[in-house]
Amino acid sequence: MEGSPGNALEVHGLTIKYGELPALKSVDLSVGHGRIVGIVGESGSGKSTLASALIGLLPNSAKITKGNILFDGQDLTKIAADGFRDIRGHLISMVSQDTLSALNPVLTIGEHLIDIQFRERIGVAEKRKRAIEALQSVHMPDLEERLSMYPHELSGGQKQRVSIAMAIMMRPKILIADEPTTALDATLEVEIIALLRELQKEIGCAMIFVTHHLGVVTSLCDDVVVLHDGIVQEAGKVREIFLYPQSNYTKNLLLCDPAHIEEKCRRLPTMSSPYEKKIENKDSARRRIAIDQGPILQIEDLVVKFKKPFALKNLLMRSKPAEITAVDGVSLNVFKGETLAIVGESGSGKTTLIRSIIQLVSCQSGAITFLGKSTLTKDLKDLASIRRSIALVFQDPIGSLSPRMTVEGIVKESLHHGSASIKSKPDEVVRLLSLVGLPAAFAYRYPHQLSGGQARRVCVARALAQQPKMIIADEPTAGLDVSIQGEILNLLSELQDSLQLPILIVTHNLNVVRHISDRMVIMLRGKIVEQGSTEEIFSNPHHDYTKRLLASNIHPLPGS
Amino acid sequence: MSLESSGQVETLRTSSITNVISKLIHDPMGAVGLLIVISFLLVAIFAGVLAPYDPNKIDILNKLQGPSLQHLVGTDQLGRDTLSRLIHGTQIALLVAVVSIGLAVLMGSILGAIAGYGPAWLDFIIMLIFDTMRSYPVIMFALAVVVLFGPSLTTIMVIIIATSFPTYGRLMRTQTQTLRKSEYILSAQALGIGTPRILLKHVMPNTIGPILIVASMDVPFVIALEAGLSFLGLGVRPPTPSWGSILNDGYTYIRNSSWILFSAGAPLILVTIGFTFLGEQLRDILDPKIGRGL
Amino acid sequence: MIKYTIQRILLAVLIIACAVATMFIMIHAVPGDPANVMLGPRATLEIKEALRAKLHLDQPITTQLFYFFRGLLSGDFGFDLRSNRPVLDIIFEQFPHTLILVTSALVVSTIGIPVGCYAAIHRNGKFDRVVGTISVSIIAMPAIVVGLYMLLFFSVKLRLFPVIGAGDSNDWLDYLWHLTLPVITISIAWIGYISRIVRASMIEVLNQNHVRMARAFGLPESKIMSRYALRIAVLPSITMLGVSVALILSSTVIIEIIFARPGIGSLLYESVLSRNYPLVMGAVLFSTIFIVAGTTIADLANAALDPRARKEAN
Repeated sequence: MEGSPGNALEVHGLTIKYGELPALKSVDLSVGHGRIVGIVGESGSGKSTLASALIGLLPNSAKITKGNILFDGQDLTKIAADGFRDIRGHLISMVSQDTLSALNPVLTIGEHLIDIQFRERIGVAEKRKRAIEALQSVHMPDLEERLSMYPHELSGGQKQRVSIAMAIMMRPKILIADEPTTALDATLEVEIIALLRELQKEIGCAMIFVTHHLGVVTSLCDDVVVLHDGIVQEAGKVREIFLYPQSNYTKNLLLCDPAHIEEKCRRLPTMSSPYEKKIENKDSARRRIAIDQGPILQIEDLVVKFKKPFALKNLLMRSKPAEITAVDGVSLNVFKGETLAIVGESGSGKTTLIRSIIQLVSCQSGAITFLGKSTLTKDLKDLASIRRSIALVFQDPIGSLSPRMTVEGIVKESLHHGSASIKSKPDEVVRLLSLVGLPAAFAYRYPHQLSGGQARRVCVARALAQQPKMIIADEPTAGLDVSIQGEILNLLSELQDSLQLPILIVTHNLNVVRHISDRMVIMLRGKIVEQGSTEEIFSNPHHDYTKRLLASNIHPLPGS
Repeated sequence: MSLESSGQVETLRTSSITNVISKLIHDPMGAVGLLIVISFLLVAIFAGVLAPYDPNKIDILNKLQGPSLQHLVGTDQLGRDTLSRLIHGTQIALLVAVVSIGLAVLMGSILGAIAGYGPAWLDFIIMLIFDTMRSYPVIMFALAVVVLFGPSLTTIMVIIIATSFPTYGRLMRTQTQTLRKSEYILSAQALGIGTPRILLKHVMPNTIGPILIVASMDVPFVIALEAGLSFLGLGVRPPTPSWGSILNDGYTYIRNSSWILFSAGAPLILVTIGFTFLGEQLRDILDPKIGRGL
Repeated sequence: MIKYTIQRILLAVLIIACAVATMFIMIHAVPGDPANVMLGPRATLEIKEALRAKLHLDQPITTQLFYFFRGLLSGDFGFDLRSNRPVLDIIFEQFPHTLILVTSALVVSTIGIPVGCYAAIHRNGKFDRVVGTISVSIIAMPAIVVGLYMLLFFSVKLRLFPVIGAGDSNDWLDYLWHLTLPVITISIAWIGYISRIVRASMIEVLNQNHVRMARAFGLPESKIMSRYALRIAVLPSITMLGVSVALILSSTVIIEIIFARPGIGSLLYESVLSRNYPLVMGAVLFSTIFIVAGTTIADLANAALDPRARKEAN
């Protein structure tokens, strides 16, 4: 069975089931020679299943019930395990998302690269040389040193470069990239995508790029396939699909992507109501933010340092253990009724900063005042009352819920402030759950039975149960599908509108910042490099880093 | 505000303990284990009623007999009914096991929690204590203690507690360390909840599972230890019937009557199977990847 | 790696020191005269006085501790009154038999590794289920019962194996014949235990992403099993083998007595029965040192094979 000669790979009517549940329903796909195809979908759309099928690594529980995959004159759904093994790494290669676990922890980088070349009949010295060339092509610094390093000694970006080096080393005909940049910072993401583009041109292979990030597809891919619920919604050239979407799903997806929406919105459209959005009204904004009352939270010259653990070296050389300065003299204010965004990449100190506000992390110097009282108090009772009046919503939604407590128990604990004597009304929990859009039945679920979005809502419900005077949200949209991001953000805006609640958001997602925050602060390596109103900074950035950050926010509209 | 579909997720309304027990019963290994354990507990409690004869009643004329209708597993060298002695031996075995392991778990958990939660220097000292006690070979340590302080049931229990608590301590410590960094503990702190309540409501329920599993697997080991010491004549004083001393009788008279030896080994094997099956099943159930997780 | 080795050895020395100190405290915790305790009731007044002078028993506790340690470091584990020889000499005479027993048991126990591996690869197949049920049943089977039953069936009833002793040391075949039942008794439980650990570990590793990625590069299965899976899965069992030294050594006491073998276990037992305190203390201390050495070697082996372990120590 041959596909059309213009195509490197063709998929016809592929149907894959996990037991009785279908993951892919009659999927068609064409990958032209030398073309970059983006597969776009949200979580549960089946895109990872598709990627796994193309490289023949579906889990045992998955069965291909219908359809075929045509490659190089063969039907990949019908060939034997040996046959597929010959193709993998050699004709079809893969780069996966999870940089942390993709590399063997007990082998050095050099050993990884040499292992891949097992098919070549050349000596070890020659293989080593090729390994170095491969690392050069992915712009890895300090080549010779890296070869003898172990994966855990490398940063996330470096590990991804190694994975890419391994994938392209054998010059495959097709490179499958399964969400390779999702876990990386924005500036790093830009670099890796540029790298992939460069390598693809050099080798001339076809590339299949799986992602949920529409912006990446626009900047990198030639063609795109939109997947939802295992069904192809539409497929074609990127320009055509994104400018003139045909299917409802694609239209709604584009409408809901916060990055696509030009005007600053107070209520973002969601998948269930994609045409409803409320643009920010400048007057109501001014009324909402109570500047004349003075800041509700004031941070002055905060310094937080971490000491490295005591090592033998210190004992021998009588030196003090090294210090890392996570927060280096930060000052900022938050007013009642406003949303302030703290923007920065990993390592900028933003998470440390917010944790030190309620003394989850101790600081070396500086002052923090909330409602006129210092939050750095040594008095435990005062600290407890401050912690109760500031609600902190953590980044990991499921991880921040106690695994053996039900949702009801978790919310009740917050209502009672942890003390056993306070009795609450029986339907308080139900009321709070409905405020965040969860039905009452969810009260009996355990955290592991919730999806990411549901867990995040529970976290918000728990925060509300505290009746806080301020909410601090650490990456409230991280890991959420674009379509759900809007819902969470709308929830926060509603709360702010009705309660004049000040909200401090920590995020690296600039598209979120643009809509929801009134002012923003940019952090780099523990210092604030720029701050001001959101509009000002987006239209007129001053600092170099800010400019770089804004430039790396890959603009989703093609042709822009 | 959109609502998310509930899907095929089961909602657990029942309390977790009854849930665990029902899951145990459904699996053959777990059911067998539970059955054996409960039977032994009942035998130990009702030993006086169940034993057909007084375990210490001597009847020289009927010594070293094989199984018969009057003596279901025969008699020993003094004509005592082996079965009755075995039944009473159950009391000693389970008493030693429950008390020693219980106290060892308590002691180890408290020390381990302190080591995991507290400052680094305290952790170092506690770990040193754990490692020191773990470096003694148990039976040899027991012999040394017995030589110094004389044999008795209390001595045995103290020895067992002293050599077992490090295991539970290390386990508790590792778990507490992992928990300490977890976000839900941080969340609880951020809520303004005090440390004692956090330890009670958040740390303990999440750490006690593995400890219970290890404890249940340790029971046969501890019973065997007591039996071993009694076998060597360094445990309970005669004529108290411990499985170990019966084994010794069987060993001494191995050429005369193999029944004593054979029957004394049987309860040890059964108890081992029972608690091991129970422990294995508990582990499978409480493991989040297999049991309650989806 | 060197840094880690030094740290680990220093820790081992510290642990041994604490173990010795504990022994010291125990001796002094016994009501009565320590000299009596250490020498037993048979010692004459002169010998007691000599010991008192040597160990400075009339001086404060800390000074005594110092001399106790010093004595040990110079190889003085005490003096056996009965045979008029240093304790250490007697121990060194008997220890080789125990050493051979323990080493053979450890070596035989490593059969558990390939068994667990195979069970993991063919998970839920017939082999896995059979081995699984058997190993779960026999894992905690007390050595005392296994040993006695073995003796009963194979030695007394079937007369296949010798009942007493270690055999002629010069005739290694005879020695091996005498060694068989004891080694089987000890290793049965450990084979089961290790195979369970390796199986669980292997299953977990095989599900991990780096194994999947290794497959994604088309590496042959044999290479994946050895380099990418087994090498990581084996690690917990190495630590376990280190821990097992203590438990195996402990059970040799019972085994040596049941099979009437010479060795440190039976030495200890006889000394206890005859209240030969110096020999008892010496034997226990010696065994403790042996165990700490065993766990240290296992930890070092683990660090050598797993680069992540080295990082955590630093």
